[in-house]
Amino acid sequence: MNWIELIIKIIIWPPLWQLIVLGLIVPLVVVIGILWFERKTAARVQRRFGPLHVSPQLGGALQLIADLMRYAFQEVIIPKTVDKGVFLLAPLTALVLSIVPLVAVPFTSVARWWPIPMDYSVLISLALSTVSAIFIVLASWASNNKFSIIGGMRESYMITAYEIAIIISILSTAAMTLSYNFVDVVNAQEGWKWFAVLNPLAFLAAFIGVLMATSGFPFEIPESENEVVAGPYTEYSGLLYGVNMGAAYIKRFVYSVLITLAFFGGWLPYHPGTGFLAGYLYPSIIVVIKATILMAIFSFLRAVYGRYRLDQALDFAWKILFPLALFGLGLGILEAYLGLI
Amino acid sequence: MSARISGVSGKVGFNDLKQLPGFWTRKLGKDLYEVFIGPQHPGSGHMRIIIRVDGDVIVEADPDMGYVHRTMEKLGEGREWIKGIPLYERMAIHDACNVTLPYVEAVEKLLGIEPPLRAKYLRVLLCEINRIAAFLYGFGIFGVFVGHSTMYMWPFGDREVWVELADWLTGARLTHSYPIFGGVRRDAPEGFTDSLRKAIRYMRKRLEEYRKIYVDNPVIRARLEDVGVIPRNLAIELGITGPNLRASGVEYDVRYNAPYEVYDELDFEIPVFQEGDSLARVWQRVEEIKQSLHILEQVADWLDKHKGEQIMHDRFWKTAPPLYKKVFQETGRVKLVPAFAILKVPKGKAYARAETARGEISYYVESNGANKPYRVRIVSASARNAIVFKYILPGHRVMDLPTIYGSIDYFPPEGDR
Repeated sequence: MNWIELIIKIIIWPPLWQLIVLGLIVPLVVVIGILWFERKTAARVQRRFGPLHVSPQLGGALQLIADLMRYAFQEVIIPKTVDKGVFLLAPLTALVLSIVPLVAVPFTSVARWWPIPMDYSVLISLALSTVSAIFIVLASWASNNKFSIIGGMRESYMITAYEIAIIISILSTAAMTLSYNFVDVVNAQEGWKWFAVLNPLAFLAAFIGVLMATSGFPFEIPESENEVVAGPYTEYSGLLYGVNMGAAYIKRFVYSVLITLAFFGGWLPYHPGTGFLAGYLYPSIIVVIKATILMAIFSFLRAVYGRYRLDQALDFAWKILFPLALFGLGLGILEAYLGLI
Repeated sequence: MSARISGVSGKVGFNDLKQLPGFWTRKLGKDLYEVFIGPQHPGSGHMRIIIRVDGDVIVEADPDMGYVHRTMEKLGEGREWIKGIPLYERMAIHDACNVTLPYVEAVEKLLGIEPPLRAKYLRVLLCEINRIAAFLYGFGIFGVFVGHSTMYMWPFGDREVWVELADWLTGARLTHSYPIFGGVRRDAPEGFTDSLRKAIRYMRKRLEEYRKIYVDNPVIRARLEDVGVIPRNLAIELGITGPNLRASGVEYDVRYNAPYEVYDELDFEIPVFQEGDSLARVWQRVEEIKQSLHILEQVADWLDKHKGEQIMHDRFWKTAPPLYKKVFQETGRVKLVPAFAILKVPKGKAYARAETARGEISYYVESNGANKPYRVRIVSASARNAIVFKYILPGHRVMDLPTIYGSIDYFPPEGDR
């Protein structure tokens, strides 16, 4: 059956595999699982049941699918006062651009399964990961709503604060391995020499930076409901609102993948072999599982912490996080100089 | 402003309309941005706060009350005396006993009667239960405002304990209509004081857990400390009442300064904090809950010692048919005697006040001898506290608005009356 082979070939063609399967479908499944787990644990802490009535046998696990369906079939209201073209395009562009960094990320060490040559993958993926936030700000401006604009303004403050920390701390791994190639970075962590252990400062800076980048607690500032309704997304409804939320979770997933590769040894301790299964699928699954654990940790702070104020968060970012990232870079260079890597 | 409108003669033109509040236009300064927060905003309750911001900093704030105004005072003039009680408790349904008690007291003053001692203790019992429930309600709302979801769920869950107790005592979860002229509606049921003591023990334990997860949480402390400071002199000048006043270092509590019911026989302290910031206001409420628990313990002991005493003044009780008395003997319930329906209050004026969960509430009641009040004037605690937003919001960031709003514990229906 030639056409089945053809379809399989198309699906496992690296760009498509990494953008659609790993970038869109896997985050969706992971997010459904993690959100359910998060809501259940938060409910346990807060002495309630959490999601229950959609699929009681599964403990309400399908609640999120029900929510997604509700978003999908709701009327999309486009106010007359908005800049229509930008209003519609901004969330979609943000969604696509938040997946794009995955195309510059290796999920295996076998060159046949790379979407693009990986020589400068650290730089390219980091650069691509910064683009989508601009479109959130754009969406807020196109909304022509005061709460949206305040939310967008907060978002833009936060971008400048967290991006530098994330970029410097992930680049410190490049300094440690003297290479911009993610494959080299991962291979250097052979033998459980994970960079999260060797360079905890850079890892901590990257972790907190991602927490800020994805509006995780306690940095849920741009969308804080009590001040700015839904922040940049105030005027969005139905599917477009769902797309906005989806983009935020995909962004969190992509950052988790980047941190997994840079600090948690990527597909190690597994050594990719030949063929699709051993060379591509298994390492991909290992990376996804590690990223999922990271995402779960990102989500668990919800029950314990409140929200920081914007100026406190910026204070924290510039006075503590940024120096922390610089120290991480210095530590990485020192370790590379001493030959510890 | 209204005087000018009523002075307009003949046809009202557009230029006259401009004088109406809804048509006011104000010139904004350069780089200023006007944001209307509320009245249907997730972070403001049923109240509008108009703020003008320069970047992220509030330069001017204008609390605009009245969205849930229900003409309580006027409605009160149209119905019989006894019907005023279920009406006025709609101002703050989770604080019903505290809010209606001064009205009952004022009418009792006009009637010249004094309720029996056990009725007074029962009133204090429900007052303190209401106070705790109202504080927990405020904590929950405050938790949402600072983005702390656990602090939203916990107090609302623990409030259920007190609401259930009130339900058991009065038959209603919120609008109890418990104190009536000359007494209370029901006696405490069998086994009530034991459950009350259990609830007190439980609440003490929970307050400690609140402290661990919320009040001493580093993020929450960073949000609340030195935010929304009301200096002592400003608090006195603006006439703020209740926990907000005491958190600014003024020792003033109606229960202590002008004791009503049996508060002068009970042993309790007035907690006072000097800082006057949002964190102090949270601590203030925690400490006041502790004092309320202490009062409740004493009330429970007293009620146990004086079982079966009268809970209704003789003036009304002697008009009760024998069946009513039999029901009271058996179940401890007092059915409202028909005398209340035709009650005529002697001509005169009376004033009474009480300490609610949000501060001092005062009633001025005037009667012309009819079966309906001539005038009932209410000044509620929230109405007096609302002005504070105008003075403490400027200079803070927009993100501080919910924090300050939540820490003041402003309740719009009570303020708008």
